[in-house]
Amino acid sequence: MSQTLEIPLIKTINLAKKFGAFTALNGVDLEIYPGEVHALLGDNGAGKSTLIKILSGVFPATSGDIQIEGNSVKFASPRDASDAGIGTVYQDLALNALTSVTRNFFLGRELRTFNNPFGLMKMKEMDRIASAEMAKIGINIADPEQPVGTMSGGQRQTLAIARAIYFGAKVLILDEPTSALGQKQQMEVLKTIKRVQQLGDIAIILITHNEIHARLIADRFTFLSLGEVIGSGTANDLAGDDIKTLMAGGTEIGDLAKELEAV
Amino acid sequence: MNSAAEVRQESDRHATKKPFAAIFSRPEIGPIGVMLLLFGMLGYFSIPAAEDTWNPFAGEGFNALGIRNNLRVISQLGIISLGAGLLIIAGEFDLSIGSMIGFAGACMAMTLRWGFAILIPYISFDGGIHLEFFTLISLEPVTPITAIFITLCFTLTFGWLQGFIVVKTGLPSFIVTLGGLFFLRGLTEVTLRAFNKKPNQSAGSTTVTEIPDIKNIINLPGHGEIERQAAKMLPETELSDLAKSLPADLVAKITERLEYTAQRVADAKTGIMEAKGVKPLENALENAINSKNEYMINAIKDKIANFKINPVPPKDVTEVDIAKAYLDTLPSVNQVANFFGGDILEPVFDWLYFPIDWNVNNFGNQFAPGLYSCVMIWVLLSIICYIVLSRTQAGNWIYSTGGNLSAAQANGVPTNKVKISLFVFSAFCATVFAACQVFEVNTADAAKGNLKELEAIAAAVIGGIVMTGGFGTILGIIVGAFIFGLAKEAFFYIPGIDGSFYRVFLGGVIVLSAMLNENIRKRIMGNI
Ligand SMILES: Nc1ncnc2c1ncn2[C@@H]1O[C@H](COP(=O)(O)OP(=O)(O)OP(=O)(O)O)[C@@H](O)[C@H]1O
Ligand SMILES: [Mg+2]
Repeated sequence: MSQTLEIPLIKTINLAKKFGAFTALNGVDLEIYPGEVHALLGDNGAGKSTLIKILSGVFPATSGDIQIEGNSVKFASPRDASDAGIGTVYQDLALNALTSVTRNFFLGRELRTFNNPFGLMKMKEMDRIASAEMAKIGINIADPEQPVGTMSGGQRQTLAIARAIYFGAKVLILDEPTSALGQKQQMEVLKTIKRVQQLGDIAIILITHNEIHARLIADRFTFLSLGEVIGSGTANDLAGDDIKTLMAGGTEIGDLAKELEAV
Repeated sequence: MNSAAEVRQESDRHATKKPFAAIFSRPEIGPIGVMLLLFGMLGYFSIPAAEDTWNPFAGEGFNALGIRNNLRVISQLGIISLGAGLLIIAGEFDLSIGSMIGFAGACMAMTLRWGFAILIPYISFDGGIHLEFFTLISLEPVTPITAIFITLCFTLTFGWLQGFIVVKTGLPSFIVTLGGLFFLRGLTEVTLRAFNKKPNQSAGSTTVTEIPDIKNIINLPGHGEIERQAAKMLPETELSDLAKSLPADLVAKITERLEYTAQRVADAKTGIMEAKGVKPLENALENAINSKNEYMINAIKDKIANFKINPVPPKDVTEVDIAKAYLDTLPSVNQVANFFGGDILEPVFDWLYFPIDWNVNNFGNQFAPGLYSCVMIWVLLSIICYIVLSRTQAGNWIYSTGGNLSAAQANGVPTNKVKISLFVFSAFCATVFAACQVFEVNTADAAKGNLKELEAIAAAVIGGIVMTGGFGTILGIIVGAFIFGLAKEAFFYIPGIDGSFYRVFLGGVIVLSAMLNENIRKRIMGNI
């Protein structure tokens, strides 16, 4: 796997987020490397979604710094983040089930003949690219005109991932991509993630509550609990049992009480 | 990784769909079936009782005048259905269309009749405190293009405002545009009454009349701009002089045409008189048959067979006739008024009369002069909407805004702009509808457009637009307008049935279509 010597693609330094009096994140350091799957683990409410929402520009951090390839950045909007190469696949996937694969693939970034919303779309070219890009990470769609509503959950996930990659994502953030899926579909998604990883230059942040999934494909782990990093390491560093306990956030009664108090 | 088992993809299971099934899963297929049924009904039931035929194209619904009138109703509804339908695809409603038509018509008619001014009120202290007005702009008379422009300023702004309120407050567009419905209708009535009020009246009427027939103003040398009808009423000597001044080949052409018409009219008269003459004989024959008088039966049959009257001679073509016919060929001075309120395809309909001999009414004259211009406007708008919705980025934005708003936003689609633009477009369509009416009939009425918003929505739904948004096509909207317009005509012709049954029929069709649409939508969403 990759060496830890290279500069991280994304690095967060002492990132904190407060919602009023509530501290959702309390000084998080994170390093994401290209070609790696980085599993972000932790119990409900640990702050995983909050962390990735900051990374994808949904809201700003209260304090701390985000660096992309060594340069500090500030995201004012999700657009900024996606322009900086951070592609987020949300849980609802942001797909319009009523229209075709191609129309969804290019939604908001349609190829057009004139630089104007009323320019004709280059439908043929878009069809071709959508098919090719999805094939790259493992799904051959028979008909790019097929409505997304008729696709399986795993295929939709693949579509959303392929789209993010095609539009320049260097970091792919997946928030619980397998949680709503059946066993077979979960495997499809994991295969997709594996193929993206094999492309080599894309970093993946994977949030999951599934220990087996994390163990199967993650190269590096970060454990969050109550807004703080309580452990991290590569797959080789961590023995199996550590992962389980760390995922549960240490589960001391005292911590739970603190959390309840804060809510 | 790539084992043989992986070659078979989940998606391959969709590829087995048969082409036949593909046609039948098109959302427009049901509506097109209903449309064809109504076409058949209209044609069949409108066959005159005297004609002995099964051919629906022999029916009155499909004669030249029938086509002209039916297409007018259909295309006017079609124009506003485009605006309403696109908005529904984007997930919103516009209930203000009908009132917008009344408002736009009144606005246009008033500016044409009384001009346009912008007054700024201020408080004056000269001779006691009172309100005075500073005239910023004053236009009079207002040309059609200016009247349309001024009206668009009001209607598009109002459409924009409704859209703005909807996207900023998140209120259902149903409520916001319901407000618009009452507001605009009320405003129209109030304004018309105020402008029409005479000093001795407590309230004025809510109509605007006495607008010149602008689309029929022609340029006649010696008279300048003059209404066609007024030109034809000029003294006969003047008309004769006009005919004499025309080039010989033009006169020959007009004369040939007029002689043809005169012959047709004479033939028709002969036919009518013959029928009149034969009628008593036929009555007598019936009596004879009833009384079984063989001799009389044969005698009367003989008489009927040999019945002849002298053919009516065709009317002579005079110079005045030539001049009048020439005046009909002069183009309108105001092409804008003609564009909205005039006729189109006149050469085709002329040709269908002379020499094709089809566009002829019972009295031998040309039946329909052409199609109403609103048909062309509908066709143009439909083509534009079709291209925009199905082929452009804007179209994809419209679908996604209605199909999954948050997905569209997450992908950077300016959904608020999309929605507001479509509210504006809906107002634009209503204004075009109003322009067609005002320039065609040269009057406006505050009650115009009543219930049109519901008809437009109904046509869209019948055409396969799903009320929850994100689904539907322009072809569907067009078919929906056809169904709505045809139903009324078809039921009118069914013998022994109250014409209002078309509403009963449409009511059922609307609900059935909505159910069908929902079914298709669920199938696509994967819920079935
Ligand atoms: N917008 C907000 N305003 C206030 N508190 C918030 C907000 N968003 C999240 N929180 C709080 O921050 C904490 C962390 O939430 P977050 O969604 O990041 O958890 P998570 O690790 O993603 O949990 P899960 O595994 O359940 O998705 C939670 O206690 C949550 O209630
Ligand atoms: Mg979460």
